[in-house]
Amino acid sequence: MAASEPSRYLARSLPRAFVPTTRLQGFCLRRNVSDQASSKAAPADLNELESATSLTSKALSEASAKSFDPIARTKARKKQLPRSRYQFRSPKYDRGPLHPHQPPPPSDPSSRLYVPGPFSLPRVEQTYQSTVASDILTLCYVHNPPGFKPPQKGPRLRSWDDSSPYHKNRPLRGPRGGDVLRLLRKPINFNNIPQLERITIHSYVKQAAQENSSWLHVAGMAVQAISNARVETFKSKTSVATWSIAPGRDTVAVKAELRGEDMLHFFGKLVDVVMPRIKDWEGVKGSSGDSSGNITFGLEPENVALFPEIEVNYDMYPPKMIPGCHITIHTSAKTDKDARLLLSAMGIPFYGKMVN
Amino acid sequence: MALSIPLRRSTATAARVQTSTTFICSQCRHATLLRRPKRPYTFTQLITLSDGSTFTHRTTSPAPVYRSTRDTRNSLLWNPSSSKLMNVEEDEAGRLAAFRAKFGRSWDANTPAEAEATKKTEQTDKEAEAAARAAAEEEEDDNLLDLISSFGQEEEQAPGKKN
Repeated sequence: MAASEPSRYLARSLPRAFVPTTRLQGFCLRRNVSDQASSKAAPADLNELESATSLTSKALSEASAKSFDPIARTKARKKQLPRSRYQFRSPKYDRGPLHPHQPPPPSDPSSRLYVPGPFSLPRVEQTYQSTVASDILTLCYVHNPPGFKPPQKGPRLRSWDDSSPYHKNRPLRGPRGGDVLRLLRKPINFNNIPQLERITIHSYVKQAAQENSSWLHVAGMAVQAISNARVETFKSKTSVATWSIAPGRDTVAVKAELRGEDMLHFFGKLVDVVMPRIKDWEGVKGSSGDSSGNITFGLEPENVALFPEIEVNYDMYPPKMIPGCHITIHTSAKTDKDARLLLSAMGIPFYGKMVN
Repeated sequence: MALSIPLRRSTATAARVQTSTTFICSQCRHATLLRRPKRPYTFTQLITLSDGSTFTHRTTSPAPVYRSTRDTRNSLLWNPSSSKLMNVEEDEAGRLAAFRAKFGRSWDANTPAEAEATKKTEQTDKEAEAAARAAAEEEEDDNLLDLISSFGQEEEQAPGKKN
């Protein structure tokens, strides 16, 4: 009996396969050539398509070619077009390299990113070109007699000794005594004399998180006034529990980055006017610097108030809100020693032990 | 059946995650706004240093001329060898100068004395220089003589030392 039951079910189910289905044939996904030929509905959709290829261009008709005369059209115009029709305006958005409407390069005066200038040849630049550069070149000259070959140095990145099979395909080891790969100092030549690259003025205002944002506004205005550049604001990255500062929540810092003309004017003003007026100031500490040619020093709030721009309307700033700031001078020198040589030639005094 | 349903669901979700690749971007329209750079207005200012030298620079301060009373030309840190600045009086507000203008400078008659002192020091310097020069010449002679006399001896001594 157990064997006969499945056969009975099979006998019942078999005839169902041959019963015509209620589904329509048109929904069937499979398409045949004979189907297309027989069906009349398809060409109605295809009527909108052009029969000719777009690859071969049609010749313009004579009439349309003769009627096209832009010069005559402009002369026939009674009034001028509105101003905007004669003027190229850069697109407001950069929509990527594949978009047909491309903004002009930032050096183009019609670009939205265009910054005009430089308008002057700053005094610091003139001093640098006329005296400082040649002095540094002379001071850094190292005489090598003809036939001198510099001693071969070891590779900066050491290879692994193949004492272990796991050393295979490893990247090279870092230098001995620490992982930091220092900048390579090349002998100073006529074409790599150290020079100023940029100056960063940075001010961390802890009261901006503790009290209110007015501290940050005043700091931003003060930094903008002394630097001739717009400031950027930054949020805290670290948490300082004693100042109730949480990372990512509190906007606490203000930074202005100066390049080119602005930088040189700021540097000249700082060295010639502000630094001599700082009370009981010995100079920049000789140990400052990041050992790759960038030197930082700080100014107290009362020293920032000595800048002529702040002095001229000192009443504008609430006196206790004038910020102190850190000034980083980025030079193209590769070591702090060279950077210090450059800056002392430009007029910044250094004191104490000189550390490289 | 109960087992197969959750399996199917999980596969379906996995497929969905794979197909929709989301790139992290700040703007979803794939267009960056080209912001016009903002620059504070700047003026050209003439800075007059304390020794009368001038230069111009661009600044946000609207004052056309800035006269500095204290700068690199009259501060000791930049002029360490200047004898004038060594005993410069603390007169930043100009009150002592005002007093002097009003009541004369009879009490302040130490400037010629300073000049005399510098003259004296110059004289002593000259004498000292002459003496030093003579001493140096003598030393040089001695050194040369020593060199000449010791030239052969060292070579003789060296093998002797080895032995």
